[in-house]
Amino acid sequence: MSPPADREEGSRALGLALVTTAFLLMALLIFLPAVLAILRTLQVEDAGGVARWSLANYAAFFADPVSRADLLFTLWVTLASIGLLFLTGGPIALFLRFLPGPLGAWVQTLALFPLFVPGIIIAYALIRFLGPNGLLATLLRLVGIVGYATPYLHAWGVIIGLVWEGLPLTVLVLTAGLAQVPDPALEAARDVGAGPLRVLTAIVLPQVGRSLVISFALGFLNIFSSFTVPYLLGPAAPQMMSVFMQRTFTEARAPERADTQAVVTFAVCVLVGLLYSRSVARERRAA
Amino acid sequence: MSVACRRRRFLRLAALGSAAALVGGAPRARAASSVVDVCIDGDTNVSDWWTGSVKPRFEAANPGWQVNVVRTRGGTGNLAIAERALAALKVKADPQVDYLEEFNPANLPGSADAGLWTRMDASAVPAYARTNPLGRDNPFVLPYRGSQVVLAYDSEKVAPAEVPRTWDALTAWIKAHPGQFIYGRPDRGGSGRNFVVRAIHEANGRDPNLFRPDNFSKAEAEKRLPPAWAILRDLQPSLYDKGAYPAGNNPTLQLLANGTVSMISAWSDQALQAIRLGALPDTVKLAPLTDLLFAGGFTFSSIPSNAAHHEAALKLAEFVLSPEIQASVVNDMGGFPGLDWKNMPADLQAKFADVVAASLPTFPSNDWQTAMYDGWYGQVATGVDRAK
Repeated sequence: MSPPADREEGSRALGLALVTTAFLLMALLIFLPAVLAILRTLQVEDAGGVARWSLANYAAFFADPVSRADLLFTLWVTLASIGLLFLTGGPIALFLRFLPGPLGAWVQTLALFPLFVPGIIIAYALIRFLGPNGLLATLLRLVGIVGYATPYLHAWGVIIGLVWEGLPLTVLVLTAGLAQVPDPALEAARDVGAGPLRVLTAIVLPQVGRSLVISFALGFLNIFSSFTVPYLLGPAAPQMMSVFMQRTFTEARAPERADTQAVVTFAVCVLVGLLYSRSVARERRAA
Repeated sequence: MSVACRRRRFLRLAALGSAAALVGGAPRARAASSVVDVCIDGDTNVSDWWTGSVKPRFEAANPGWQVNVVRTRGGTGNLAIAERALAALKVKADPQVDYLEEFNPANLPGSADAGLWTRMDASAVPAYARTNPLGRDNPFVLPYRGSQVVLAYDSEKVAPAEVPRTWDALTAWIKAHPGQFIYGRPDRGGSGRNFVVRAIHEANGRDPNLFRPDNFSKAEAEKRLPPAWAILRDLQPSLYDKGAYPAGNNPTLQLLANGTVSMISAWSDQALQAIRLGALPDTVKLAPLTDLLFAGGFTFSSIPSNAAHHEAALKLAEFVLSPEIQASVVNDMGGFPGLDWKNMPADLQAKFADVVAASLPTFPSNDWQTAMYDGWYGQVATGVDRAK
């Protein structure tokens, strides 16, 4: 047996060896290309073919109504989807926290089910279900409701698909947050006569604030950069940034423009990422 | 051995293993030397036909050889593959492609002069002598199949006499039947693209020769394309869902199949195949425009001269022009053959007498196409605020 100090040294070296591969892969395959891409967007070649530092690519992005519309559209779809995710996932998480039992297990299974279904399957299933003359339209017609306007190829088609996809993650994060609310606090509040609404606003909500922030941030990052669902269900214009980027890169064959779009998307996500890491860091410090 | 010890040893092994994986790299993606790499830019009907029909038959006829079908659609397409082959030629590297199922070397200006392409003639590919002379666009292409975009309509909703035969009649019909017509997004498939191309031809005196691979310039595009955008913007309010353009050939066919619209633009081969398979009801009929056909034409295969398996690629070229595969083009794909019709079996000649086109208008797939996509998205699709 080696002395404790040696052992500690050994485990540190071992630990470093374990993370080296992952770190090198990240650095070589993700950070380096990303930094190069960012630098590329900050350079333009003048008439003589000499590269100069310039913000011209970004000026062009924000001057172009199509890219502005696509950026706003992406923000709008993302915020609307998250709003709906809270409206649907919140009650489910509350239900799972306060009304456990056999029914709760079923609800949980159903809420987590989308986690195991690939996005492309969801997209095609929704086309058949929500599309024109799809199952929903047919059912509505059976009960006498006509004039169904399909969300397929509209913003709402994308939002419905993304909410379906994002529900499990929202429910998981919120359930984890709610699990941290101690039962004694709830019982004490009830003992002094607080009704369910009062318990929710005065005891539960203040303690799940961080989970809400984390859920918002994770949902935002997922949805803002989602591709499959908006690619298959979304309108031709405006498009979400990921679809717009893919089109710019492969169809317009303008990699520098696609780079610029990617950096703008990245910048938005970094802001939300900061919110997330600040919230997690505060939690660590508190723990 | 204690559990902790075993765990430590496992961790050490894991660290070693992952480091080895990093140093050694992944197994080489390129397959063995007896594999012909075929890059396909077409829709699923094309790649499925290659995987299901051409590949097994070629491999059965040429023991020891395998066909690797690479789908480039949805990625960067065959132009990027050709650019890569040109770069490889300059540095004398392996282009990693032996056979481009669909690429006209004219769309990569300068590549033919650089010596990138195999000259197609009867000495390289004996069956070339029997191909359709109309398809011999330039010395580097092998016309091995053809297709055209046509109108597909539901004959239960549109009486045959009512079916438009000219562009003017078509636009009049669309406006008279709001919501009943749609075409797909031009960048997601040829059925939508060639509808947009037809509008461009219409706006330029129906003269397809104004658009050649070698005459693109920004100024020319800014002069030639905007009138077409005006035509298409004008149609938009009368289209299905006021311009809810489906994202591909198949999604467009689906809207016709489920009765949402009663007329679309479609690839003849894809539509015929769908009707045969029952994906489209048999009440769906096809009709070409007679004043100027929708663009389409021969599919040109080409073979890089620096292909690693050049011999085998030529063998594959000869094989796809064999009577067996050419009959399969007609029967299984619903396309028309690359061979001259007079070299096809008599029963097929008789059956397809009315689709034997004298010539088909085309549109270049290089910068012209890029400008078309950009223009359509910027000037047509955004014409109506659809965010809400």
